[in-house]
Amino acid sequence: MRRMLLALLFLLAPFGARGEGLVSGISQDTIQITSSYTGTSIVVFGAIERAQSAQGRNIVVVVRGPDEPMTVRRRERIAGVWVNSDAAQFEGLPAYYYLASTEPVARIAPSEALARYGIGLQALRPSAVGSHHDPEPFRQAAIRYHMRHGLYAESPGSIDFLSESLFRTRVPVPAGVTRGQYNVEVYLLRDGEVISAQSTPLFVDATGLERRLYNMAHDAPLSYGLACVFLSMLLGWISAVLFRRPD
Amino acid sequence: MEIYLPVAEMSVNWLVIVALGMGVGFLSGLFGVGGGFLMTPLLVFAGIPSTVAVATTLSHVTASSISGALAQWRKRAVDFGMAGVMAAGGMAGIVFGVWLFALMRRQGQMDLIVGLSYVIMLGSIGVIMLRESLATLKAYRSGVPVSHGLVNHSWIQGLPFKMRFRQSRLYISVIPPIVLGFLVGTLSAIMGIGGGFILVPAMIYLLRVPTKVVMGTSLVQIIIVTSVTTLLQATNNFSVDIVLAGLLVSGGVVGAQLGVRAGAKLRGEQLRLLLAILVLTVGAGLAWQLIARPADIYSLSEGMP
Repeated sequence: MRRMLLALLFLLAPFGARGEGLVSGISQDTIQITSSYTGTSIVVFGAIERAQSAQGRNIVVVVRGPDEPMTVRRRERIAGVWVNSDAAQFEGLPAYYYLASTEPVARIAPSEALARYGIGLQALRPSAVGSHHDPEPFRQAAIRYHMRHGLYAESPGSIDFLSESLFRTRVPVPAGVTRGQYNVEVYLLRDGEVISAQSTPLFVDATGLERRLYNMAHDAPLSYGLACVFLSMLLGWISAVLFRRPD
Repeated sequence: MEIYLPVAEMSVNWLVIVALGMGVGFLSGLFGVGGGFLMTPLLVFAGIPSTVAVATTLSHVTASSISGALAQWRKRAVDFGMAGVMAAGGMAGIVFGVWLFALMRRQGQMDLIVGLSYVIMLGSIGVIMLRESLATLKAYRSGVPVSHGLVNHSWIQGLPFKMRFRQSRLYISVIPPIVLGFLVGTLSAIMGIGGGFILVPAMIYLLRVPTKVVMGTSLVQIIIVTSVTTLLQATNNFSVDIVLAGLLVSGGVVGAQLGVRAGAKLRGEQLRLLLAILVLTVGAGLAWQLIARPADIYSLSEGMP
């Protein structure tokens, strides 16, 4: 439903000739994870075409990572020890979600509209839930967990206007991000309704040695494991020779 | 200073990891243990996912055992027959342990089982070592020699399938070494330890292997078991991180050599007292994690079990 709406919006956007329109871009379309990667940031920028009054107008930038299946467990105290006792499985929640907006999302649009467009952390809904009748506290826990690890964030008031119609925002990409295809979505809202939207893909991928090692660990696990064993034996042997005491 | 770990998919300060390897290596050289029981919890404290920590610590144990084993081998203090029989039991134990590991992960009880096993094992071994070293120190002061009460396990002598272990000058059933190997292999797969600090006392007190060959033989068994477990973890769980292993091992082997030198200056009973305190401290820390109220009673893991 959400995707269909979005697709429709993206199709219609160029034709909305009379109203306000949106053009946006990102500073880089690929993020390379190298051996010294400790997180980075990208700049999302854009321009409002045929800009009208800033009153009632809002910009929302959403960067959404690939969906990731996850299991959330609840611990309970049993005989003094904290034990995992209950679990819910979610599909369709993103591994990364960052939202920058001109105002807090709750003030931009009513919650039904936000839910319809999938804007804001509270609008994140799993597409499927496994083995639980009351998933809501588990969903909240999943959001909390990702926020704690800097993977989900809402940052109201972080969009800078360079002129009447030119804007930009800096999106942090922390060290713990998953590889895959991300989507940068820029929304132009007026009085709580999306009037224009644009989506650009962003790729996060490992390069060079990191990529080769990761691929080897998954595609040739036996040789990879042998390499690990050989490496540790070699280093152990070298140290024994170097530090050999005359005895 | 930051380096990206390709399998753990996170970046760490490599100086911290090398220092960690060196510190644990120093202790393992000092006390003559592999150090897995310290390394795995420390890596988890440092934020490494526990599956990666358990699987990668084994490389550190392999490396620090190699240099010790080489020294013992030069002194001809290795009973390869005994090591081979124990390793055969060890293989079965590893396969069982890796299976158990996967089962616990599906049930969501891995952290609990690993935590409980650590607390029970570290607690009991720490208490035994503490009592023994205190008694020895007291006896040393009062000048009374202590007899290490070797119990006569007649039921072990009565078991079938006897085999001659030339180097250990023993003629015993292969069942106890196989069972011992199995036990240590299982623990190795679940907890990421070599198991030296179970193996050594069990070989001395249960199997009656002469102290002279115990160290070398247990090291050879540990090398075999940790290597095979590394291979199985790499092929079954894809959880060995070669960059993390390289960093840990580089620090570890240097630390181990320094530890051996420092250890030569201390007396055995003092060393054992220090090790007992260390073991009990780690055990108490892990026990506290099990009983303290967690910051968030919900936890999250990626994927569908």
